[in-house]
Amino acid sequence: MSAETVDSGAGPAPRKGVSILFGLTLLGLLLFLWLLLGLATNSFWTPNNISNLLRQGAMTAILAVGQTFVIITAGIDLSVGAVVGFTSVIVAWLLAAGVPLWIAIILTLAFGVLIGAFHAFGIVRMGLPPFIITLATLTSLRGIGLLITNGSTISITNEAFTNFSRADFLGVPSLFWMVIVVAIPAYVFLHLSRFGRYLFAVGSNSEAARLSGVNVHRTIYLAYILSSTCAAFVGLLLASRIGIGNATQAEGWELQAIASSVIGGTSLFGAVGSVHGPLLGAFILATINNGANLLNVNSFWQRIITGVLIIVIVYFDQLRRRGAR
Amino acid sequence: MPGLDEVSDIKSDGLKTAARHPVPKGEPILEMRALQKKYGAVEALKPASITFLSGEIHAIVGENGAGKSTLIKLLTGVIRRTSGEVYWCGKPVQLDNPHEAIARGINAVHQEVVLCPHLSVAANMFLGDEMKSAGLMRKRAMTEAAQSVLDDLGFNLPAAATLGSLTIGQQQLVATARAAMRGTQFLIFDEPTAYLTRQESAQLFRLIRRLQGEGVTIVYISHRMEEVFELADRVSVLRDGTHVGTRRIGETNDAELITLMINRTIEQIYHKEHFPAGEVIVETRGLSGPGFEDVSLTVRAGEIVGLYGLIGAGRSEFALGLYGRHASTAGEVYWQGRKVKIANERTAMDLGIALAPESRRDQGLCLNLPIGLNINLPVFSRLTRGLTINRQKEIENADRQIRDLKIKTPSRRVLASAMSGGNQQKIVIGKWLSHGAKLFIFDEPTVGVDVGTKAEIYRLFARLLENGAGIILISSYLPEVYELSDRLHVFRRGRLVASHDYRAASHEEVLTQAIGV
Ligand SMILES: Nc1ncnc2c1ncn2[C@@H]1O[C@H](COP(=O)(O)OP(=O)(O)OP(=O)(O)O)[C@@H](O)[C@H]1O
Ligand SMILES: [Mg+2]
Repeated sequence: MSAETVDSGAGPAPRKGVSILFGLTLLGLLLFLWLLLGLATNSFWTPNNISNLLRQGAMTAILAVGQTFVIITAGIDLSVGAVVGFTSVIVAWLLAAGVPLWIAIILTLAFGVLIGAFHAFGIVRMGLPPFIITLATLTSLRGIGLLITNGSTISITNEAFTNFSRADFLGVPSLFWMVIVVAIPAYVFLHLSRFGRYLFAVGSNSEAARLSGVNVHRTIYLAYILSSTCAAFVGLLLASRIGIGNATQAEGWELQAIASSVIGGTSLFGAVGSVHGPLLGAFILATINNGANLLNVNSFWQRIITGVLIIVIVYFDQLRRRGAR
Repeated sequence: MPGLDEVSDIKSDGLKTAARHPVPKGEPILEMRALQKKYGAVEALKPASITFLSGEIHAIVGENGAGKSTLIKLLTGVIRRTSGEVYWCGKPVQLDNPHEAIARGINAVHQEVVLCPHLSVAANMFLGDEMKSAGLMRKRAMTEAAQSVLDDLGFNLPAAATLGSLTIGQQQLVATARAAMRGTQFLIFDEPTAYLTRQESAQLFRLIRRLQGEGVTIVYISHRMEEVFELADRVSVLRDGTHVGTRRIGETNDAELITLMINRTIEQIYHKEHFPAGEVIVETRGLSGPGFEDVSLTVRAGEIVGLYGLIGAGRSEFALGLYGRHASTAGEVYWQGRKVKIANERTAMDLGIALAPESRRDQGLCLNLPIGLNINLPVFSRLTRGLTINRQKEIENADRQIRDLKIKTPSRRVLASAMSGGNQQKIVIGKWLSHGAKLFIFDEPTVGVDVGTKAEIYRLFARLLENGAGIILISSYLPEVYELSDRLHVFRRGRLVASHDYRAASHEEVLTQAIGV
């Protein structure tokens, strides 16, 4: 054990360097897909299609970022799809009741906060596994939404609200701008602030984190509230895009979000993850769907391809992580 | 090179094959020839050739990160070698998976217990080798068989209990019993006494001698020189992954081994400086909680208060209680003369208490996170400026601890799990040194730490005391608490049963009080 070993050469798997490398690989994969689709079809690189792709990917991307916070703490949030549907109903209902737009938006986001807090409460105070408590809200939120709407939909007449999702800013769809609006603070939070470090620590070993003075309960509240709030935000975007509130919307989006996160390098065992990974994962999935539509691939195949892709990417990520045994 | 067919051959005959053709005592049973292991660019074991003789107790010593555990993992098939050969009973063998090693009669008790905490002691002992009838597990029979093995070995442990409910030391004994039970020819112990008390160590030594009597070859890794001299026939020394020599135990001594190990000499391991006792930092009056009862003691600035006792005597529980991890049920705590209620860890830290806990794996470290993050975990709020962490300070702080404690790593970004046991322990200590405190509670701070670093840690204690801190030192290693404590308290069954000033009582007295005969 000598001083020079401290400074000597590249060690086993410095984490940061590798995660950048992995991010670049994903980015490479995304660009490769775009290039391929550009060559294979005439319609891919049209402004219309690109806008469409960005809109499609945007909502999953935001959900995936929220989901990632939770997965890093070694948890899971199955409720996000249901929260999206539920909050689309809430905002439609509030607007129909004549509540001013800004207040309706804030109230809807507040619902997201409440749902997340409820999840954390169940986990921390009642000792329920994250899988169970979020599975429970998944079904009950859909139920509550259906009760409110009486099984039908509430249409939204507020033009300012519905125009938003169709609008562009600097030639880029406003929905995509929303990804940036979420991603930048999320990046600062996860990678630059101490709370991000606490998420990793809790996901790795919550007892060690606790004995180091980390408020484990508060960290868990934070993670689930962020995830649900992201979902509520997506609920707003979806309501704006389709112009209705409908509790059955966004079926299965929780799986899309989890898949994006995992493709982006998040480990379901906790303590491994980033913000850029799930974003890239979401757009890779969106590109595959978009490309399959353009190529007229049977939509059943899309699902199969997505499944295979998850296995392949995560397998290579595992290989890299394990290194030489 | 013999392939898999030979392995299956051995499996079909079972363990008895090996037993029927034992290598005569004193003949080579296992030979390493230029055995080497690289983890990426790190050469954990440079080509080493060591011969183990049948029926001997062969000790292996070396600093933290010298490659001892790596060598063991190679011989037990836990990891694969990069190059070199291993000869077993004169024939080259692959040893590239644990099954093969076990089938040949090579077993190990690893440094970190690798059993299933949720299963019972008996289930763990039979894991992978369950008793079955008609495809169903015979649970009762296994529990009874396990219990009789434990009783026979003289370990006072319940076979039906869940493993997780036992202390780390007791789990280590279960792992030992498990290995001893499996018709072993060649048994390796990686720092088995690190978490054991004297009494338990004595039990273990009796077991080791008994196994040797039955013809088993023993490899024994330890940082404690006196154990090596008590047990071993021969000793091999590793330094920085290199095999630097093998000696017969009668032809060597402490000083020579230490010099071989660290390439320099240490005059004195237990570095003790006496400082005038200052103000009272903390005083507990009749403090009770889960696992401890009615504990009254004081710690002053500039003194080390040692807590000695058998495992399960309530010392760690007391420490956790004082630190706010568990709510206390009765009694009071006075902090610098003021009555305080320590409801949680944060309150304790804000008062100025630091706790380096007993188990680095369960309580001390986030193993799959980088060393730097682990070191900085308690101090992130201090490293934060505005919304974000000050990267510069974060890096400086981590690098300073790595340098000061000589943590053997190429970078602070390496995951804690890639560190050797002793180096992991240093990370646990480092994180609390960087936090700083008025009262440091060190629970088994030198478990698995090599002699050289131990001496450095004790010097570090003196520096803390000099700066006006007080220390509670919990250790199951009597010489350590005995030589370092200004005041030594003995715990038994959750109570404080005796107190002594510096060196006021003999080792025997302290031991008797701890055992309570
Ligand atoms: N999984 C791993 N990946 C990368 N490097 C590793 C890994 N395991 C061990 N090492 C490195 O190999 C070297 C030898 O480690 P080993 O565990 O054999 O040390 P040791 O002699 O048992 O030390 P200790 O006394 O602290 O237990 C160390 O430098 C360690 O950092
Ligand atoms: Mg070791």
